[in-house]
Amino acid sequence: MTAPENVKAWFAEQKWKPLAFQLQCWQAYAKGKSGFVNAPTGSGKTYALWGGIIQQALDHPPKKGLQALWITPLKALAVEIQQATQRMSTTFDPNWKVDLRTGDTSASHRSKQRQKPNFGLVTTPESLHLLLGSKDHQKYFANLRCIIIDEWHELMGSKRGVQVELALAYLKSFLPQLQVWGISATIGNLDLAQEILLGSEVHQAVRIVSERKKNIKVKSLVPKNMERFPWRGHLGLHLLPEVVKVVRRSRSTLVFTNTRAQCEIWFQRLLDAHPDWAGQMAMHHGSMNKETRLWVEEALRNDALKLVVCTSSLDLGVDFSPVESCIQVGSPKGVGRFLQRAGRSGHQPGASSTIYFLPTHAMELIEALALQTAIQKNSIEDRIPYLNSYDVLLQFLMTLAVGDGFVPQQLFPIIQRTFCYQTLTPETWQWCLNFIRQGSQSLENYDEYKKITVDDSGRYRVANRSIAMRHRMTIGTIVSDADLLVKYQKGGFIGTIEEWFVAKLVPGDVFTFGGKNLELIKIQNNQVLVKKSKAKKAKIPAWMGGRMSFSAHLSELLRETFYQLEATESKEKQALEPVLEQQKKQSILPKTDELLIETFPSREGYHAVFYPFEGYAIHMAMASIVSYRLSLLSPTSFSLAYNDYGFELLSDTPIDLQGLLDNELLSPQDVIPDLRTGINISEMARRKFRDIAVIGGLVFQGTPSQPIKSKHLQSSSQLFFEVFKDYEPDNLLYQQALDETFEHDMEQGRLLQAFVRMNKQQIRWIETHQPTPFSFPLITDRLRGKMSSESVEDRIRKMYLQLEKDGSS
Amino acid sequence: MTLKIVQQTFELLPQGAVYWQEQKALLLADVHLGKVSHFRKNGYAIPAQIQFSFYQKMEQLLTAHNVEKIFFLGDLFHSDRNAEWDRFVAWNQSLSQQTILVKGNHDILPTKVLEQSGLFVVTEWMEKNILLTHHPTDRSGSFNFSGHIHPGVRLQGAGRQRLKVPCFFHQPNQMILPAFGDFTGLHLLQPKAGDRVYALTGEAVVEIKIVA
Repeated sequence: MTAPENVKAWFAEQKWKPLAFQLQCWQAYAKGKSGFVNAPTGSGKTYALWGGIIQQALDHPPKKGLQALWITPLKALAVEIQQATQRMSTTFDPNWKVDLRTGDTSASHRSKQRQKPNFGLVTTPESLHLLLGSKDHQKYFANLRCIIIDEWHELMGSKRGVQVELALAYLKSFLPQLQVWGISATIGNLDLAQEILLGSEVHQAVRIVSERKKNIKVKSLVPKNMERFPWRGHLGLHLLPEVVKVVRRSRSTLVFTNTRAQCEIWFQRLLDAHPDWAGQMAMHHGSMNKETRLWVEEALRNDALKLVVCTSSLDLGVDFSPVESCIQVGSPKGVGRFLQRAGRSGHQPGASSTIYFLPTHAMELIEALALQTAIQKNSIEDRIPYLNSYDVLLQFLMTLAVGDGFVPQQLFPIIQRTFCYQTLTPETWQWCLNFIRQGSQSLENYDEYKKITVDDSGRYRVANRSIAMRHRMTIGTIVSDADLLVKYQKGGFIGTIEEWFVAKLVPGDVFTFGGKNLELIKIQNNQVLVKKSKAKKAKIPAWMGGRMSFSAHLSELLRETFYQLEATESKEKQALEPVLEQQKKQSILPKTDELLIETFPSREGYHAVFYPFEGYAIHMAMASIVSYRLSLLSPTSFSLAYNDYGFELLSDTPIDLQGLLDNELLSPQDVIPDLRTGINISEMARRKFRDIAVIGGLVFQGTPSQPIKSKHLQSSSQLFFEVFKDYEPDNLLYQQALDETFEHDMEQGRLLQAFVRMNKQQIRWIETHQPTPFSFPLITDRLRGKMSSESVEDRIRKMYLQLEKDGSS
Repeated sequence: MTLKIVQQTFELLPQGAVYWQEQKALLLADVHLGKVSHFRKNGYAIPAQIQFSFYQKMEQLLTAHNVEKIFFLGDLFHSDRNAEWDRFVAWNQSLSQQTILVKGNHDILPTKVLEQSGLFVVTEWMEKNILLTHHPTDRSGSFNFSGHIHPGVRLQGAGRQRLKVPCFFHQPNQMILPAFGDFTGLHLLQPKAGDRVYALTGEAVVEIKIVA
């Protein structure tokens, strides 16, 4: 068979007709342009880009070496793209192969790719940085014509997006002709997304929009006759029969859960309910081993599975045409994410997608209504990019230093060309250089800090081999808790599990993992050795994972939905009715211009619960500010809880709410200074700091397969946080933790608006005798913050210790 | 906080040390000197100033109490030889007090090197039925002071108050000292019946109420 003449002919051979936006892409690409494609998954975006690249290669035969680089956020996606692109390009020339390079690629394969680069390479931001950290990488990239950033909307709001920005600026510095193309699904701030990716070229670049709109339907799973919806709970298992019904009538179904624990439990319960589905159902989450995950993905594509229970691990792009229905268990926390998940189904052209929302507790029914509105209006939230992430910059400097090294004067303008570091000052730049070179800002002669050496030409390099190796292992910005390998004692790797869960188990305990019941034999050398168990009862690993907040956008929709609730007629409202009745009996349903505050005593202390409906992150800041202001009236200690609807202050002494109202402590005045002064800040920044310390190279966690060998170097980021707070509070990484807490999580502007709104509302202070349905999820929350204006001595004198229980182990 | 133990008088000090009145001796455990430099030498940018907090605290203690002997209950030096060791040697040689090191698992410098600094090096020390060791040791007829554990407790209070603090952990026949060094971390313990816990608040030593 002879090769087709051109890309259009190839399309014709496949019996495809190029879509308008694909033709536009090919044209723009042929003109040497960079561009930005706004297209959802399953729209034919891969060939829109790859077609242009191939046509150019046909028109202008390429030199040897790597021509096109495709960056994708997910390994699973990478496989898909590599197959699709290679299929097209090798019909034209058998030598135009496409390589795949991810964290799963073996070392020998990687070095083969390095020595004999193929036509294309599909990889992740992390693996791209590893390439930039290798010797002679400029030679490797010398003939690169094009770089494509796929699913940019996914990367942009994360530090992986910053990694992409840095890599692009750096590549363009020695490849001035490089064509840069981004692909993004629709998000609120699409223009900004394009600007960040294409930088100074944004004005010459083209924007191409695929006109295919998906028809998405949202249905809530609400049983017709349900006595009472639970007030809290995160599993939603009471709706299992409804899920079974959906699965029965669909060709295949994806059940999305928010945590891996939820995923394991749902899988187990569905299997218990339907043992006959055993061969047709599977589970998919990030802790499972690669082979199993790949097998599940393949089976989904081949229509061999009826049901897959998964987490965000299956969120993105991968095309699973046979999937007919998606079910979202619990709040998706954002419209964009919900749409993405809905997009997993109905991939066939013209098919509409149906996503079922399964509320796990009463309040989520309101969310279901808000989501329906959002999808009707196709209104999706912004992705907020990171600014001045010193941790990622320090990591990048080290990455270059372990490769060919860098000269600061040459690199500085390149870094400044990125969106993230556009305001980087020469002083801060010098701070970063000092940090990696001498580990501090003043050079002390007694100091033995060793990381980077500067050679005679002023080039920064890493001379020490073990430091270089350690750095290569840590490249990346996704930080998770320490993971341990789970293995059968007889051999065979099953997956990884978070250390803190295993720490709670003793040998002989049975736990569920990857859908199997396993008995713990022992933990040694960071490996969890297990054997299969026949036991019926098992502990289920509860992966921590980050707690997500509502986007500003969804909060607004939620507020509107809530305030209009009384006037709405829907089955969700109907299901909610008993809860609303109970709430009204004990307290009130606040109206648009009302702020509800409930106070009541309990065995635990004195509670005050506020309901601004602003989303988790804003409530966290509000709780901190309000408790701080209250604590100025008299020395008090508070324990704080927050969710997407409101926040709770809990104290061991009665809360002076009258004092709060009399002194106008809900005023928007001085909100930001009060937030900064509140002692609680360092509590909130602590978690941020953990990630920053790992990314910035302060702490080395080791990897599951290569844990820290030297005991003398073991330490935790917690300890680092404490010593920075006490000894070096002006350290930029420490400051960054504080800044990220404010700007990224809380969005100061939004916080201020929230206080302005709250201040205009009429206060409805209700003293109740017991928890209301609204307050119940808050007061039972175990994940809490604190705020105190008492001296440590006074606090400690009031506190106590619990005796260890007999026979506990 | 002053305690009478086997007819001897011990003062638990807020810095985390113990003053033994009859012997005019200061006991402290797990200083982990050298750890900061060891980390820095390996490319971890820990604030270099931490290394000086030991000397500041020692000066306070030696001014406030009449000390003739200083007992380090192990893990004095957390590294092989580095610049911090030289600073310690200079300090040690300038002291008028006798310094005794009960060797711990992190003290990997050769005994000869340790002794050259002026330290008297032992594996344990027994005096007036008081046994000083690095690892907690249960020996009949004696009361044991030790380190190694870096004890801490998680306190709770009304209104879901929680607080993690370092402490002296007092068991029927022994007292585990908190880590004296600043870059050391905590190991949380839970008391059994008969145990007593004295928490360090920064300013004071406070005995904690233990409930069943």
